[in-house]
Amino acid sequence: MVVGEFTTEVDVLVLGAGPGGYVAAIRAAQLGKKVMVVEKAEVGGVCLNRGCIPSKALISAAHRYEEMNHSDDMGLTADGVKVDFSKVQAWKQTVVGKLTGGVGSLLKGNGVELVQGEALFVTPNEVRVYQGNEFNRYKFNHCIIATGSRPIELRAFPFGKRIISSTEALSLPEIPKSMVVIGGGYIGIELGQMYAKFGCQVTVIEGTEQILPLFENEIVRWVQRRLKKDGVTVHTKAKAVSAEQTDTGVTLKYEINGEQKEITADYLLVTVGRVPNTDELGLDQVGIKKNERGLIEVDHQCKTNVENVYAIGDVTAGPALAHKASYEGKVAAEVIAGHNSAVDYKCIPSVVFSDPEIASVGLSETEAKEQGHTVATGKFNYAANGRALSLNANEGFVKVVADKESGIVLGCQIVGPGAPDLIAEMGLAIEMGASLEDIALTIHAHPTLGEMVMEATENALGQGVHTLTK
Amino acid sequence: AKRALATPAIRRLARELGVDIQTVKGTGAGGRVTEEDVRSAVASQVS
Repeated sequence: MVVGEFTTEVDVLVLGAGPGGYVAAIRAAQLGKKVMVVEKAEVGGVCLNRGCIPSKALISAAHRYEEMNHSDDMGLTADGVKVDFSKVQAWKQTVVGKLTGGVGSLLKGNGVELVQGEALFVTPNEVRVYQGNEFNRYKFNHCIIATGSRPIELRAFPFGKRIISSTEALSLPEIPKSMVVIGGGYIGIELGQMYAKFGCQVTVIEGTEQILPLFENEIVRWVQRRLKKDGVTVHTKAKAVSAEQTDTGVTLKYEINGEQKEITADYLLVTVGRVPNTDELGLDQVGIKKNERGLIEVDHQCKTNVENVYAIGDVTAGPALAHKASYEGKVAAEVIAGHNSAVDYKCIPSVVFSDPEIASVGLSETEAKEQGHTVATGKFNYAANGRALSLNANEGFVKVVADKESGIVLGCQIVGPGAPDLIAEMGLAIEMGASLEDIALTIHAHPTLGEMVMEATENALGQGVHTLTK
Repeated sequence: AKRALATPAIRRLARELGVDIQTVKGTGAGGRVTEEDVRSAVASQVS
């Protein structure tokens, strides 16, 4: 067989096996399509291999370590608690391995063929898949582009030995003595705080006025307080200027209020955002439209301007979140199979695994007002919840935002332990068009953190039992 | 524009039946669009 001559034909070709791609492939296969997935690296994509899963694994190890050292309040004292970081890394890797193995089995079990390599569009119905310099041709009726994103590399801070992206930060062989993080978004804060809990001296350099700029100040304040306790130094309104590396460290020059400063650390972690992987696919070759940021333009059915080509996940506009990608993957697959599916959600929850954790869904109070609502809000503090106290977790609050006239729930913000799980109820409430009363009248188990959601809605109705209203 | 008050499943049903849910008058609590509302909207379109 001459390389490059062999052509395979499939119904649906999915580019990328991340949370968007593998879900799209499975749904398309469930709907009777012959599906092939092309993946250049590991099955599971960024989320499973270099994102959500490994970061959460390391964060939970860091929390466990912190609790072992700081449970004196509850009468638990431990001496000589040690961290074997190579073992932590190995454990994290088994978690990743189990999940990526699971995705592999799911693809196989659904009859989806997996091809390793890098795809390049040749025509709107054909790609070449390269493995090194060799390639095979694949023809398809429909294609779903789900090639994801990668960390932004700043020109002044090229990734290399001591200047690292989130990818390397997740796989460091040892706990660094010190680390500077450029970018106080959720990735920078999660990873920075994790290493700080393991004893690393962490400094965060954020350009805007507050870290975690997508969240309200009343939420972020709780995280700032904890970061301080964890020994993290945060510089906001600071501008990273340049870095100089040696074999053992890196010195960052930065600017605050026009003042020049510098700091030396073992590593410089740059987490200033992500860019879509749309630059090496040959999209121009077939006329697939991108915007100036490299994001592929799609309609409400994830269709690009080229009839049979779809795009989902981080390569399209919207929050770069795994659950958004998976949702779009199902929509694209269903549309290809002839269903009249569409992207039609009212809200997407976003969560940060900081300490304390943050979760938000729907509209904030400010956004609801901007959209012309007369707003009713209700808040409930962890400090007044029995379960929170029994967990020794009394920092944080649940805030519910609703339209005052109709009582319809518009949004919810939570800061505190368990927030990422607690937010699910409010996502459902918003999708269902539930009112404050609907939630207040739903019996929540006692004692649980979930009761705070019920009580926050009662407070919004002016009927809170465990809160004294002045 | 204010979006119709309807659950995800009702919104999907409307789409599958080719009904623009924004044009359906909801008869449910607080103006919620029900399955019945969607189905009768289809019937009136057909007739």
